[in-house]
Amino acid sequence: MSKTVRIEPNVQFVKELQEVGGDDLKKCYQCATCSVACPMSPADNPYPRKEMVWAQWGLKDKLLNDIDIWLCHNCGTCSDLCPRGAKPGDLLAALRNMTYRKLVPPAIIGEWMSSPKHLPILAGIPAVIFGIVWMIRAAMVGSFFPVTEEGKIVYGNLFPSDFTIDPIFGLTALFVVICFAVGVRNLIEGFKGTVTDTFVIGYKKPTIKEAIIDAIKYEVLQHTRFKDCIDEPADEERVKGHLLLFYGFVACFIVTSIVAVAHWGGKVIPFLAPIGHTPMPLWSPVKILANVGAVLLLTGLTLLTRRRLNLERRKSRSNYYDWYLLGVIWAVTLTGIGSEVFRLAAVAPLAFFTYYLHLVSIFMLIAYLPWSKLGHLVYRTTALIYARYVGRLPIGEKLIEDEKVFVI
Amino acid sequence: MANTSILVIGGGFAGMTAALEAAELGHEVYIVEKSPYLGGRVMQLNKYFPKLCPPSCGLEIQYQRIKNNPLVKFFTLAEVAKVEGSKGNYTVTVRVRPRHTAPNSVDLSAVAKGLSGETASEFEFGLARRKGLYLDVPFAFPQRYVVDTACLTDADKSALSACPHVDLAEEERLIPLQVGAIVVATGWQPYDVTRLTNLGAGTVKNCISNMQMERLASPYGPTQGKILRPSDGRAPKKVAFVQCAGSRDENHLSFCSYICCMASLKQAQYVREQYPDADVTVFYIDLRTPGRYESFAEKVLADPKIHAVKGKVAAVAQDKAGDDVWVTVEDAVTGAKSVERFDLVVLATGMQPSLAAQKLPLDVTVDEEGFIVNGEDQGIFVAGCAKQPLDVMKTAQSATAAAMKAIQTVRGR
Repeated sequence: MSKTVRIEPNVQFVKELQEVGGDDLKKCYQCATCSVACPMSPADNPYPRKEMVWAQWGLKDKLLNDIDIWLCHNCGTCSDLCPRGAKPGDLLAALRNMTYRKLVPPAIIGEWMSSPKHLPILAGIPAVIFGIVWMIRAAMVGSFFPVTEEGKIVYGNLFPSDFTIDPIFGLTALFVVICFAVGVRNLIEGFKGTVTDTFVIGYKKPTIKEAIIDAIKYEVLQHTRFKDCIDEPADEERVKGHLLLFYGFVACFIVTSIVAVAHWGGKVIPFLAPIGHTPMPLWSPVKILANVGAVLLLTGLTLLTRRRLNLERRKSRSNYYDWYLLGVIWAVTLTGIGSEVFRLAAVAPLAFFTYYLHLVSIFMLIAYLPWSKLGHLVYRTTALIYARYVGRLPIGEKLIEDEKVFVI
Repeated sequence: MANTSILVIGGGFAGMTAALEAAELGHEVYIVEKSPYLGGRVMQLNKYFPKLCPPSCGLEIQYQRIKNNPLVKFFTLAEVAKVEGSKGNYTVTVRVRPRHTAPNSVDLSAVAKGLSGETASEFEFGLARRKGLYLDVPFAFPQRYVVDTACLTDADKSALSACPHVDLAEEERLIPLQVGAIVVATGWQPYDVTRLTNLGAGTVKNCISNMQMERLASPYGPTQGKILRPSDGRAPKKVAFVQCAGSRDENHLSFCSYICCMASLKQAQYVREQYPDADVTVFYIDLRTPGRYESFAEKVLADPKIHAVKGKVAAVAQDKAGDDVWVTVEDAVTGAKSVERFDLVVLATGMQPSLAAQKLPLDVTVDEEGFIVNGEDQGIFVAGCAKQPLDVMKTAQSATAAAMKAIQTVRGR
């Protein structure tokens, strides 16, 4: 306490934080209930109490380089127990939103993603791109809604993957990967300056490779940390919903990869080509996997959306980042299912229009990924790996029982 | 002409003080007390601020003044059933529950000892048991036993029927009173620990409330003043005080109860006086030491074995193997979260106004916490903790103030 620290409060940053979901941060009176209540919070410099005081002072650098905002899985127990309704859980969500907005250039996309008023631009970009493709191709094939001689709908006839879909999404994906690389580098640079190595007896410090494997094996694939975050039935629904959504995406990713590999690989090794030929018959294992993915997505979305709608507003509020992501995934899922159903029903105009919307929504999901809440896929994973690597662990029940909590 | 009598609801420190102030200025006063004895919460304390007197010190003087003043009439086991009329002319109906014992102060201890039915003593906050015929309050006023018929076995009933000083057939009475003003001194109750789910909700064996600690430390209490763990009667070596247990918390009591920090420091001193080796830690959000209590706090905290840690305890759990208590807290100054083992944990629960749970048949408004916010224009005045959390000294001041206003009302000034 005797050490004098010069603090430079950033009032503008406090206001920005309040805008992206930290409205009530000024109510905090630093009782530290939250840090204790949090099942994820470690012994050494626990969160979120310290983030609350940093936020009140507008200590931007500390907050934006803080690993702990990613270790939080937002179960909301801190906000439930908060004696002041300061909503520490929402503040950490707001800080993550701030990171989505500021971590990666170009800053303009971060800006567009931060408020619903820019939604027309975000939707407009893919709408125009795929609209132009549609116009040109319609002129080439002679119809806006081309069907085969048997009256079948083949989307590839209007939007052929070779020179429309794949190049557009390929370039977009490349752009996203580069942006994420920048983001991960920025994150780690930030962590290096702020996170100290913690020595915990009974914890063998992993190599970076082990940390990566373990984080993916436990935290990503099994949601182990997320599961520790359950203290009421609604939390269970949240974890279940997230797992379903996650595996729904995994299924769709596998399907897309198979199609892409078979399609492009088929140009070199001809017998691969039929596997990736679309549309696939309904009995094709790849198609079955795709449909299973769609059902997983729908179920997960329903659980997560229902939970958000039922949130007690006094305790936690959803913000625009939450709704953007849920909305876009809903759009992707519904237009995806719609495309399949209308194709099978052979309603050409409706089918092509739905497919067009599907392309637009997928673009909105992927192209802005590093600036959206889905960016947590990369940022949180990075933080979890880093935390494992430096030994930043929750005070686990196991450790307490064994009386092995010796933090140095 | 307006009636010059005054009704005082509540016979604790505030009620007695208000009644005496008015009576000693020549007004007829009626005290209506819900429990079998006068004295209220102060009776349950071991020592009270500001001078750390035992309750006998202040209360016995009050009892003497009441005994010697024919203008003070009091009803115990009584409640206000109905209030009609208006300022200056109230007709009040008081419901008096039967005491079932003779009006003289007969010593019925031998009879009580012979009974078999038992229940937890409210006065001892469940730390002791009492019979169906009991007098569990030290230097009780009135010095009369009381029968709790719900606690009697059939054998007890026949034993008591044979006793000439017990009348099990006594019935409830309704008594009409004419008064000009009303003083509400309904006081407070300790906040219900069972609602503090993260602090064990009353199920952790050696996690007690601050009022239970007063009983443990009281020479008239269940342990004759030895501070011992309720689970095994062992002397505690390491004691934690959890401040703001359900206070300053919008999920529980949103206000600060004013005196709990001081109470915990006082109780830390009880522990240290009895156990020279014991370590005491007070976990707080802000250590509130109003006015001249600051110097008391300084004196207590100068003890190297009494530690004050800034950080609210947000988790209390029973040890899986034994009776110890685990406390999780973040020291907000050093930023270290720790899980510590204690022998005894005391929850500093706040003062919830009694009117939060029970409404009065009066036309007064209470705020969302249960504190009375109006009534003066109707000749209804509030004394003590029915208005806001206070210590005994300020309670007495507020009672005097309420009595003066009540007198002004009935005299028509």
